[in-house]
Order: sequence, then structure tokens, then C-alpha cells
Amino acid sequence: MKRAIICFVVSISCFLLSGCWDRTELNDLALVTGIGIDQKGKEIELTAQLVVPKKLGAGASMGGNNSGSSGGATIVRSGTGKTLADAIAHLQEKLPRRLFWGHVKVIVFGEKAAKAGIRAHMDFLSRNPQTRLRSNVLVSDKTAKSVLELLPPIEQSSAEVLRELSNSQILMNITLKDVLQMLSGETGAAALPMVTLLPIEKEKTPLETIAYIDRTAIFKGDRMIGSIGDKLTRGALWIRNEIEQANITVSLKGAEGKITSTIIRANTKLIPSYKNGRWKMTIDITSRDDVLLNATNLSLYNEKHIHQLEKALAQATIERVNATLKKVQKEMHADIFGFADVIHRKYPKQWNRIKNRWDDIFPEIEVKVKANVVVQRPGMNTTPQGIPEDEVKK
Amino acid sequence: MQFFKQRRKQTNKENVPAMEREHKQPEAVVLSADITQNIQTLQTIYENCCDVVFRSFRIGGEVNATILYIDGLVNVEQLNIAVLPSLMTKQAAEATTLASFLKESLPVSSLTTVQTVAECIEQLSSGSCVLLIDKQPEAVALSIAKWEKRSLEEPTGEGVIRGPREGFTESISTNLSLLRRKLKSPKLKTKAKTFGTYTQTTVVVTYIDGLASETLLEEVEVRLSRIDVDGIFETSYIEELIEDNPYSLFPQVINTERPDVVAANLLEGRVAILQDGTPFALIVPASFYSLLQSSEDYYQRHAISTMIRWLRYLFLLVSLLLPSLYVAVLTFHQEMVPTTLLLTMAASRELIPFPALVEALIMEIVFEALREAGVRLPKQAGAAVSIVGALVIGQAAVQAGIVSAPMIMVVALTGIASFTIPRYAAGIALRMLRFPMILLAGSLGLLGVMLGLLLILIHMATLRSFGVPYLSPMAPMQWEEMKDVLVRVPLWKQNKRPRLTGTKNRTRQAPNQKPDPLEGDDQLSKGGQS
Amino acid sequence: MEKGKISALQLAMMMYPAIIATAILLVPAITAHHAKQDMWLSPIWAAFTGAITVWIAIRLHEYYPKQTAIEYSAQIAGKWFGNIIGFVFLFFYLHASGIIVREYGEFIIGNFFIRTPLLFIMGSMILVCAFAVRGGVEVVARLSEVAVPVVIVVIALFVIMLIPDMEIKNMFPIFEHGILPSLKGAIIPQSWFSECFLIAFLLPYVANQQDGKKYALFSVVAICLTLVMVNFTVLFVLGNITARFVYPVMSAVRYISIADFLEHLEAFVMAIWVAGAFLKIAVFYYVLVLSTAQWLRLTDYRLIVFPIGFLILLFGNWAAPNVMELSHFLGTSTPFYLNTVQTVIPLLLLLGAKWRHRGKKA
Repeated sequence: MKRAIICFVVSISCFLLSGCWDRTELNDLALVTGIGIDQKGKEIELTAQLVVPKKLGAGASMGGNNSGSSGGATIVRSGTGKTLADAIAHLQEKLPRRLFWGHVKVIVFGEKAAKAGIRAHMDFLSRNPQTRLRSNVLVSDKTAKSVLELLPPIEQSSAEVLRELSNSQILMNITLKDVLQMLSGETGAAALPMVTLLPIEKEKTPLETIAYIDRTAIFKGDRMIGSIGDKLTRGALWIRNEIEQANITVSLKGAEGKITSTIIRANTKLIPSYKNGRWKMTIDITSRDDVLLNATNLSLYNEKHIHQLEKALAQATIERVNATLKKVQKEMHADIFGFADVIHRKYPKQWNRIKNRWDDIFPEIEVKVKANVVVQRPGMNTTPQGIPEDEVKK
Repeated sequence: MQFFKQRRKQTNKENVPAMEREHKQPEAVVLSADITQNIQTLQTIYENCCDVVFRSFRIGGEVNATILYIDGLVNVEQLNIAVLPSLMTKQAAEATTLASFLKESLPVSSLTTVQTVAECIEQLSSGSCVLLIDKQPEAVALSIAKWEKRSLEEPTGEGVIRGPREGFTESISTNLSLLRRKLKSPKLKTKAKTFGTYTQTTVVVTYIDGLASETLLEEVEVRLSRIDVDGIFETSYIEELIEDNPYSLFPQVINTERPDVVAANLLEGRVAILQDGTPFALIVPASFYSLLQSSEDYYQRHAISTMIRWLRYLFLLVSLLLPSLYVAVLTFHQEMVPTTLLLTMAASRELIPFPALVEALIMEIVFEALREAGVRLPKQAGAAVSIVGALVIGQAAVQAGIVSAPMIMVVALTGIASFTIPRYAAGIALRMLRFPMILLAGSLGLLGVMLGLLLILIHMATLRSFGVPYLSPMAPMQWEEMKDVLVRVPLWKQNKRPRLTGTKNRTRQAPNQKPDPLEGDDQLSKGGQS
Repeated sequence: MEKGKISALQLAMMMYPAIIATAILLVPAITAHHAKQDMWLSPIWAAFTGAITVWIAIRLHEYYPKQTAIEYSAQIAGKWFGNIIGFVFLFFYLHASGIIVREYGEFIIGNFFIRTPLLFIMGSMILVCAFAVRGGVEVVARLSEVAVPVVIVVIALFVIMLIPDMEIKNMFPIFEHGILPSLKGAIIPQSWFSECFLIAFLLPYVANQQDGKKYALFSVVAICLTLVMVNFTVLFVLGNITARFVYPVMSAVRYISIADFLEHLEAFVMAIWVAGAFLKIAVFYYVLVLSTAQWLRLTDYRLIVFPIGFLILLFGNWAAPNVMELSHFLGTSTPFYLNTVQTVIPLLLLLGAKWRHRGKKA
């Protein structure tokens, strides 16, 4: 028993005296919420958005330190270097606290950096045990730093803003894992959401705004080759079966005004076919909609009108998708829709033959878009509101 | 078992001087026929004992006699009104033999004839009067004991909302009577022993014949027989002398002051040890899970009891782990905390001078001190402690910038959590263990916590209490027993006694007792028809 | 020497972590490397080795019901040659324990405690295991019974929490290159399954022998199912990049995010996994200590617990100079190494036993 006690004492003192290698107090950490990566000539500039706990509202109870100026809870610091790791080392020199990457919410690439290739950065980010595979990845149309240094009026940090915007899934929502999967997938192309600065309101300082997602950056290999606007992005989302929230506005023949409907549930199927050495792809879209707004004088309780509306909606969807295909497939030649994966799954043998020529085959694929829209409910109104009963076209 | 044998040999050796010491005393002397000599012997023994009364008189005015008793242990009123008058009447002298007279006409229910001085002393100590009569080489002990004792009260340490409210008292006879009132069967056996060279304390081993296994009884006997101490004031003395692993932090014996708990455990085939002078009874064997059961679990509706048990298991983990998890997460795994919460914590910790580990240790120690002070403090000062406590573990400490607000919450929650464990001894063991756990968490994070937890589990898996594995029925797993561990199944489903303690007679009650009103109707209608 | 008795269920509960603990970390990446989207199939092929090994161990046990592998190898192969086989087993388990401890240490350090010395991490674990091993087979078995349900619940939770992120299309096309890749992917995992031979050392202490065989096979099935489920989860979540991670399961765990609150659970999962690793090391350690004591014909194995623990620490340290070497060893040599000792030698022993018994009858 004595020996056991001695053993115990020795092991406990071992723990106490030595086992602190990886211990870091919360007060010694610089919490990074967002990373920005820019290309500066031949060097990489890494910008980290850090939270300053002192300025957080919760500090109020701590000895009445309630200075918290609005939105000033974050600061940005940058470091440059030949690689990302170099830049981090450089950045760390300028900080009294140790950088902590466990809470990185967004990774923003400046356009230049995106055009120079992101593979090396991705490797670093996925290799580090602290960073999260769920961080959102975005591209900025200016520098990444200009996005991160913003002080948003509502949210705590601009990183938080970008994350919330990504998660709302109106446009692309891409995580670090998705990027890795796209880069190493069969398609050889990737799409990332792209942000732009919101114009500044009057009487506000230049930093009091946010960046918002309004485009999609198209990557071929690991380099950005161009971008498409929000409308085309929605087309791409339709093809990728990622559409979550969308309103479609159409006008019907024989009626003035427009009708807007919102998508409740949508599903897209990609059906490849192979005939006589030619590849064909059928995009089969089905969606269920609710009417959101009716500015016409048509009563939507009439089945005829509904059929008309459904057709118009389907047509609008097909047009949207076709516009996207024209731009991305025919002009950019980037398979961000995952056609390659679909063909690979359905025709594994043929795929192995065409794998190497995919870049040439992809633009030539004949795509046929089919859409089937079902309008389910007219909302709370029967006939259009705000016009006399006799003007309603039943 | 070899281990026990060795220990036994050792104790026998130690015994020798004690025996010698006793031989020198004149107590083994046989009473002589000469009353003056007897009185002299007893007077030398009780020299300087002002509470021993010698009252000489003549039986029927003829035979010399002396009655001895210890003031305060004897019902003097009865002595004066019933015993002495009947002894002093003329009839006494006329009776054919003294012995037959005493048996026939003395209004005392229990008479014992004693031969030796030692027996006299024993009778006197236990509250009897000793009557010495001239020309008789023996004395008569009249048990008319009566001493001050506490009335039956509700046990303070084990309160219940629903259930019997009486608790044991310091008097063994009262306690046994309480038990006998619950278990009226003659199968309830009570074996008395005396321990303590000076205290001569009565200890009673009780069990139910036919339910308690022989091996267990034998083991209890053997372990009790090893005890040779100068005094016993609490059953904890016995507990320390009979438990399996004397170094363990965990209690290996259940102690309780509730007769219903003792009775219920006896019915499960366990053995209880009661002692004169304390309201606490010991129950063996104990397993860890039995320490987490409260008597009220069986008095409440079964679903509620089940839920409360789960709550108890959860808070058992909280009381052991919460501060260490807090330290581990805050100093090693900051990524685990949701960002917003982490930022709030960072903000509240920004001005704290101590590392999280030190902060946690300080606060936990302060809490323990407050708890201890609360128990020991004179009642009049109780209010002061609660006020000071609220200041130290409260908003004031946070405002002073000494500790962070989350830490206060952790300490408070841990403190409360440990009191959800019904057995105080088990709760305190876990509370002590959380200090090494905090140290481990501070040096190796969650890995340290896990290693610490494993060490505790290893220790518990090694422990046994009177042959029963401490972690049973969880490990070794006995699925059948889970009915009273994971859940508390309805009474009509607990048809078997626990496997580990009730091996002798496993059937507890008749099967199929699930209440079913329709079944009753059937019987009624059948009865009507026939 | 060992007076404790365990139940058949306890045997199964000891075998489960003894294989799962490290397999769950390393197997998905290795199988994904060879089998790609057919990786979920590989554990099923691999389980056949487990079943065969268990069958061999059980048959041997039937010939020599009261003896462990060390004892009956001396009976089958003669004193001199049997001792050599015994020594091979000893050395193998010593080396294997060292490698397991090293895998544990590398995982902990690579993911969580980057600056903590390897020796310290390994040493603290071996110390904890030593206390359990000193308690004997009963204590290890009881600990398994407490910890294994927790481990299983956590694995199940991990799968459930990843359901929102799963994409079933990742598993197609099935059998793109035929059945071969999934078989190739099974080569390494099947060597893990050969560790089932551990039951040869534990069966003599099982109280209900008849159930022992049933539960041993049951644990092989449970292990196989767990691995299939884990492989499915990893494949559905990570898809084509599974093979690029050293510990795909850990990477998948890092991807969990429920309501912005349950995020980054890897440290918690690590803590539970440590309990599994503890059991694995404890079982190997116990078998090693017990068989060493039997080989040296000692009366009490408790004496050599700490010295052997020290040896395991040294072997763990010497097992490989770095992680790359370690995974290279695991990815290339193990099928030959593990299978030779744990499947082929026992098979030879079984043949020998049959021959001996036939001779006796005749």
C-alpha cells in the first residue's frame, strides 16, 4: 500500500510539474473568426480577424468597463510571407496572444489570390488540426482584407455576417470540405460564392457596412477563371439541386401585372444518356410552389389560370437554366454542375474512356432541360385583393 | 482469505496484554456468602464513584441485605414504591426460601441470579439493581432500568417527502423495537455482542433467517470477532474495522438511521449491524448503486422514481466532473465551446488574475469550507454563514474581479449536485475526488479527465463489499438486476430478490400482481354466477 | 495463476474494443485508398479472417479447455519447440502492444496535444492500464462492461449527428472496377480481425464455456457491422477525399454541426475513444503479462506488470521513427506479420493438436 501511495504521489506530481505543454489560458488566445488570403505580388498576405473580448458587451459587469463602441469588437491584423504558413508566422510576431484557429468561421480569398490558385492554401487549412472543415469559403471581388476589416452594424463581426449569409442558402453555400471535394473530384471545376461590398449609407464611416454574396466565382482546376451573376447562379443552383429559397416572377399572357411564386420544394435530376458516341444530358426539374404575390386581375381559383401560371413558371425556370448553361458550359467550359460525377455513376465503363478528354467533351454535351412546376396553394387570398370584384377575371 | 487469517493472528497476539490486564482485576471473584465481604469488594471497585448507591436494609426486618444501583440508570420511583416495600414486609421473612419468595412476590418482570463480581458489575452498568442478601453466595439483579433518552424524531440526514418519519435513536432497545415492529416474523434474528474494553457497548447483528446467506453471516461474524478496541461510540468505528478496503474513499457499507431502510435491506438478504448509543445502523454488503438509492424511490410512483434516479446519475457525474470539464475545455479545448459563449467567457475572464485551474481550485475549496462551517457552526451564527457565503460565492466576488461569473455557476452547480446523492458518505467521496480531477484536467485536458475517470473506475471495479463486486450489477453485468438500477420497475414486477444478496430464497412475492380492474370484474361476475 | 472468472458477454465486450479502438481510426483511410466508394464492403470480407481465427481458437480450446495458447503450444509442439512458439507469441504481443500504444500516442499528439512529449502521453496511459491489469481479468472485464456501452452509444451518436451532411450518391457506382478493389481494401483490415486470436488466452477463464464460442463470433459480427457503419458514414460525408485524411473519422467528427451549438465535438469524442483505446491496450497488456508469467512458469503475474509496462513503453517508442513509417508499416507489413502469428501459427497448432489426438485414439 505504501508503494501505491508513493506511486500515486509521484505520478500526480509528474502531472502537475510537467503536463502543461499544451495548456493555454483563454486570456492568452487571440480568437480568430475569419481568415482572408490575398496575393500581394509574389507574396501571400494573410489577414486574420480577431475578437477583442475587452470590447464585448459582456465586459460591462466586469468592474464597469463599459466602453464598447458600437461594432468595435473585432480588429484585423495581417502578415505576409511566401506561403500561408510563413504569413502566419509573420502575423504571430505582431500579436501578443497566440493565434487560435478553432473558431474560424469564414475563409475569404481575394480575387487575385483566387486567380493564382488556392490548392496550396486549401492543403494548409485542412492539414491544421485547429481549423474547421465546416468553415465557409468565399471569394471577394476586391481584397479579402477589405471584407474582413468591415465593422458590421448588426452582427458582432463581418465573419459572422458572411457565415449567416452563406447559411441562408439564397446563393452558394460552400464549406471547406465541399471545396476539397470539388477540387479532387472528377469535374475539375469548382464554384465558390463571391462577395461585394454593400454601398455605404450616408453619415456612416466607410467601414460600417457589410459584404454580401451576389455572384459566384467559377474555378477550373484550382484557379478562378471568371464569375457569374446572381441570376445565373440561381440557374446553377437549380442544376446542382441546391435551390432552397427562390421566388420566380412571371407575367401571363392576356393579363397585366405579374405573379410571383415561391418554391416550397424543388428537386432536380440529372439523367445522362449515351447514344452513337454522343453524350446527352437531361435536366429534369420538378418543383412545388406557392403564390406569393398576384398583381394581375386573374383569379387563381381558376384551374385554367393555374395551368397557365405553371407553364409560365416552368418556362421561366428553363430559361434561367439555359442561360446559365450557355455561360458556364459553352463559354467557361467549367463543369460546376457535377455532370462528370453523374456520368461516372451511371456509365462507369465509358467514363474511364472519356475521363481524360472530359474538358473537350463537356462543352459539346447536348443538354435538354425539362421543368414541371406544380402550384399548390394560392396563399391567403382567393381573388386578387384591392380591386373591385367585377374587374376580377374569373 | 489468507490475508484475513494473517490479520487474525496478529490481533490475537495483541490481545495477550489486554487479557493480562483484566486478570489482575478482582472482578472474576465469585461472590461469597458473607455480605459484608461482598460489599467491601464492590466498594473498592466503585471507589470514587459518587453515582453508585449502596442502600442497606433488612428483608422483613430480619435478614441483612443491600441493594446497589447506579443513580440515573435505574427507575428509582419503581424501586421506592414497588420493590423496597415488598422486600421489607414481614412476609418476606416468613417465606420458605428466599429465592422462591423473590420469584413469587417481587413485582419485577426480569430477575437474574448472578454469581460473580464481574456479573454484578455488568448488571449494574446496564441499569439493573443488584440485591445482595446475607448468607447467600449469589446476588439477584432486578432490571428496572430507566434512563433519559431522546424521543423518536424524524431522521435529519435522510429526509423524505413520503414515507415513515421515525428514525433510530441512541437506545438499542428502542431501535430493536422499531425494527421488530416492522418485521414481526420470528425469523428476524438479533444477535447481541459486546465490544469495547471500557465502553462495553452492545452491538446487535440482525438478519432474517432463511434470507441472509450463511457465508455472509459467517463473514460478518469473523470480521466482528476481530474487533478488540477500548471503546466504540459510533458504528463508524465498526465500519472502519470491518470494511474490505480500508484505504478506499468509497463507503463499502451502507449506513442509515431509518428503520424502514434497514428492514427493506434485511428483506433483500442483507445483514444489519446496530449499536447502542448511536442512531446509525450499518448494512452489508453494499454496492455502489445501492448507495445511490433512496428509500423514497420505493415510496413514490415508479416512473417518477426512475426519472429521479436518472437525474441522480446525471448529477453524480456533474458533481464529479463539472469543474474539471470546465477547466479542461477552457484551457485545452477552446474550440468546443460555441463561439458566442466562448466570447462571453473570454470577456468575463479578461480581468481575472488567476489561471482557470487555480480559480477552480480556490472556489471549490472555499465552497467545501463553507459547507463544513455550515455543519459545525452554532445555530445562532448560521445566518452569518449564509450571508458570507453568498458574498464569497456570488456577485460580490465577480464584481471584485477575483473570479469569473461562469466559475461561480460551476461551483454552485457542483455543490448542489453532490447533495442529490442520498448517502452522504458517497457524496462526500465524489466531492473529494473532484480535486484530483481538476488537477488532471488542468494538466492534460479532457485526456486527463478521462484518465482520472478510468483510474476511479479501475479502483471501483477492484473493490468488493463482503464478497459483492462494488459495481454490480453493472459490472459484472446482470441484466435482470437492471430493473432496480437503470429504472425502478413497478413493485408488482419485482418478484425476485437481488441475485447477489438474496441467493437463498429468490422469490419475493407472488407473480402476476399487476393491478387489473377488469380481472377483478371477471372474478366478481364469476363469483356471482357460481 | 488467474483465479478470476469472466462471463461470455464480458469476453465479447473485451474483444470489441480490442479491435475497434484502433481500427475505427485507421481502417477507413486505408480501405478508402484501395476500395474507393466500395470501402463499406471491405470490412465484410475482412471479417472472414476474424471468423476463421475465432474458429481456430475455439477448436484449440476444445482440445485443451483449461489452457491458454502458451500452455497448449508446449503440449502440442513438445517442450522445446513449444517454448519457441510461446516466445514468438510473447514477442509478437509485446511488439503489437507497443505499436498500439504508439498509434494511441500519435493520434492524441497529432490532433490535440501537439507540444506534449510522446513518452508522457504513452507512459500515462500504460500506467493507468497497469493498475487495471494488476486487478486481473475480472477487473478488465468489468471495465469493458462499463465502457463499451458508452463507446457504442457515442459511435451511434456520431453517425446520427452526421445524417444531415450525408450524401448517399457518394457510394455509387458500386463495383466500378469489379469486386477486386474492395477485396484489396480488405487486406489490411483483415489483419486487425486476426487479433481475435486474443480469445485463445481468455477462453479458459470464461465461466459459461458454451456461450463463450457464441459470443466470440457475435463480437466479430458486431465489430464488422460497426466498421461497415463507420465506413458508410465517412464515405457519405467525405466522399472522394476520405483517403486523403489520416483519421477520416476524426475529420468527419470535426464536420458535425448541429444548431451552431454542437460543434467541434472531437475533443469529447477523443475522450470517449481514449476509454476504448484504454481497453484495447489493457486487454493486450493483460494477455502479454499472463502469457509471460505462464511462459516463465511464475506463480503470480502481478510482479511483472510494471516491468512489462516499461517494456511496452520502450517498444512503443521504438516502433517507428515517425508517423509515416508507422503507417507504412501498418499499410504493408501487417497482413503478413499479424496473420502469420495470429492465424497461420494457430492453424498449424490446430493441425498438430488434431494429429496428436488422432494418435492417442489409435
